[in-house]
Amino acid sequence: MKLNPLLRKIFLVDLVKGLKVTFHYQPPSEAITEQYPLERPVIFERFRGQPRLNVNPDTGESLCIVCNLCALACPEQLIVVKGERNPATKRKEVVSWTYDLSRCMFCGLCEEACSTDALELTQDYEMALYTREGMVLDQAALERGQEPEKYAK
Amino acid sequence: MIEYIKGYLSSGTTPGEAGNMFWATVYILLVITGVSVAVLCMNWLERKILAHMQIRLGPMRVGPHGLLQPFADALKLLIKEDIIPHDADKFVFWSAPVVVTMTAFTTFLVVPFGRTHAVTDMNIGVLFMLGVSSLGVLGIIMAGWSSNSHYPLMGSLRSSAQMVSYEIAMGLAIVSAVLMTSLQTGTGTLSMIGIVESQAAQHTWFIFKFFPLGFIAFAVFAIAMVAETNRAPFDLPEAESELVAGFHTEYSGFRWSLFFLAEYSAMLAVSSIAVTLWLGGWMRPFPNWLGGTAWDMAFSFLPALTFFVLAAGCFLGTIRMPKIPQFRVQTIGLGTFAALLGFVGLVLLVPGVRVRIQDIYWFVVKVAFFMYLYIWYRGTFPRYRFDQLMKVGWKVLLPTGLGVLIATAIWGLMPQLSAAILGVLQ
Repeated sequence: MKLNPLLRKIFLVDLVKGLKVTFHYQPPSEAITEQYPLERPVIFERFRGQPRLNVNPDTGESLCIVCNLCALACPEQLIVVKGERNPATKRKEVVSWTYDLSRCMFCGLCEEACSTDALELTQDYEMALYTREGMVLDQAALERGQEPEKYAK
Repeated sequence: MIEYIKGYLSSGTTPGEAGNMFWATVYILLVITGVSVAVLCMNWLERKILAHMQIRLGPMRVGPHGLLQPFADALKLLIKEDIIPHDADKFVFWSAPVVVTMTAFTTFLVVPFGRTHAVTDMNIGVLFMLGVSSLGVLGIIMAGWSSNSHYPLMGSLRSSAQMVSYEIAMGLAIVSAVLMTSLQTGTGTLSMIGIVESQAAQHTWFIFKFFPLGFIAFAVFAIAMVAETNRAPFDLPEAESELVAGFHTEYSGFRWSLFFLAEYSAMLAVSSIAVTLWLGGWMRPFPNWLGGTAWDMAFSFLPALTFFVLAAGCFLGTIRMPKIPQFRVQTIGLGTFAALLGFVGLVLLVPGVRVRIQDIYWFVVKVAFFMYLYIWYRGTFPRYRFDQLMKVGWKVLLPTGLGVLIATAIWGLMPQLSAAILGVLQ
C-alpha cells in the first residue's frame, strides 16, 4: 500500500513498522544467546581447535616421521621439531616436539602439510590456561591432549 | 486501634483532605517505597525486555532468570568507591543528585492512585506536578556544571535545551486536556483527582473525547514526555556514543544510583500524568459499556488473576529449570517466588482487599503500559540528531499542540458559538 509521504510522516507509519519488528522478536525462544557452560556450542566438522599428535592406535608409536614439513608450513613458526635417525630401524624418531599454542592462529596449514596425518587440529576449544609457559606444548601433551587446569586460589 | 484504621479506610478521603498528618506520612512512605520497588522492577524488566527485543537473553545468572540482578546492582553501587573529581564544585556536585531525586519523588504527592489513594488532592495538582518535575532540569544543569568536565557540561546543556523546549508542547497538550474538564460541565479543575472525576462524569476518557482532538493532544504529550525524561530516542543528554554518559559521567556509586532512581521515577511520574489526564486514571476500562454490578464483580477479580498468571509463569519456569545440582537453589528460589505471587493473588481475592485494590490496580496497569512503551521505543528507535530533535519539538509538536488547544476550545464552545452566530444573523 502506497501512502503519501506526508501522510506517512503524520501517522508515523515507518516508526510503527519498526515497533512491529522488535515486538515480534520478543519470545525468548527467538534469542540466539548460548548459555555456554550449561549448553555446549555446536562444533562444525571442519572446526580447527586444540592440536593433537596422533599415535598408532595398535602400537602406541608416534605417527610423526620428523619430516619438518609442518614447521616449514607454519606462518608463525611456532612448531619446532627435532629428530634423530634410529640406526636400528633406520627411521627418524622424535627427540623434542614443541608447539607454542599462545602464538597459534589455527590456520590449519600444519595439518595440511602433514604427510602422515600425525598432526591434527581437533575440535576441542577449551584451551585457557593460567600461564604463558603452559601454552608451549610438548610431545606428551600433544599426544594425550591438554588437561583442564583446576581453578584454585 | 483497628477500629480507627477501619474507620479511616472507609472514610473515603485522602489524608490531605482530612488534614491528617499521620496518615499523610504513612501514605508518603508507602508511595516512596512503592516507587522504589517499581524502579527495581523496571530495572529488571527493561534489561530483560530490551534483551529479548534484541534477540538476547539478558540477565540470567543472578537468581533464576536474573531476578535478583537489580539487588546485586544496587549492592554493587552502594559499596562502590565514591569519587568526587578534584576540581569539582563539591557542594553543587553533592547536591545535584539530591535535587534530581527530591523533585522526582515530590511529584508523586499529587498522583492519585485511586479516589482515596493519594497523599493529597491539590487544587493545582497538574501545575504542581509540571512545576516540580521541571525543577529536575536544575539538578541536571547543576550536575553538568559542577563536574568541571566537558562531557557532562555538553550533556547538561543539551538536556536543558531539550527539556525546556519540550515542556511547552507538553504544557499545551495538558492545557487542552484541562479545557476538556471545564467544557460542557462548566467546572474546570487542575486537581488530578478532579480531572479523573470529570472524566467519570462525562462518561469518556479524554483520549476519546472530541475525537480525534483528545487523541492528538495525547499523542503530543506521549512524544513530549519521552523527550522530557531524556529517554531513547531522545536520549541526547546521555548519548553514549558521543558524550560518554552525559551529565552523570563523573558520578559513581550511590550518587549515580540516585540519578538512575530519579530518571525512572520521573518516567513513572510523567506516565501517571498521561494516565490521569487522558486514560481515565484509576477507572477500569469500559465502565459504561460493561457496566453494572456483575461486570464490576468480574473486573474485581482481575488483580488476583494477574498474580495467578504471573505465579503460573514462574511455576512453569521452575519446572523447566535444568535438572542439575548447580541449579537446585535457583529452582527452589523460583518456586518460592511463584508461591509468593500465588499467595498475593489469594490475598487479593479477600472481598475487602479486592474492592479496595481495584483503583490502584488499574492505575498501575496503565502506567505499566507506558513503561513498556518506553522500553519498546528504546529497543526500536535510533537516536535523533540534535537539530532533528529541536525541529520535532518546535516545528511539529508546538504548532500541533497550539492547534489542538484552539480546536478544543472552539469545539467545546460550539453550542454557545452557534447560538451567538444565529443571534447575530437574526
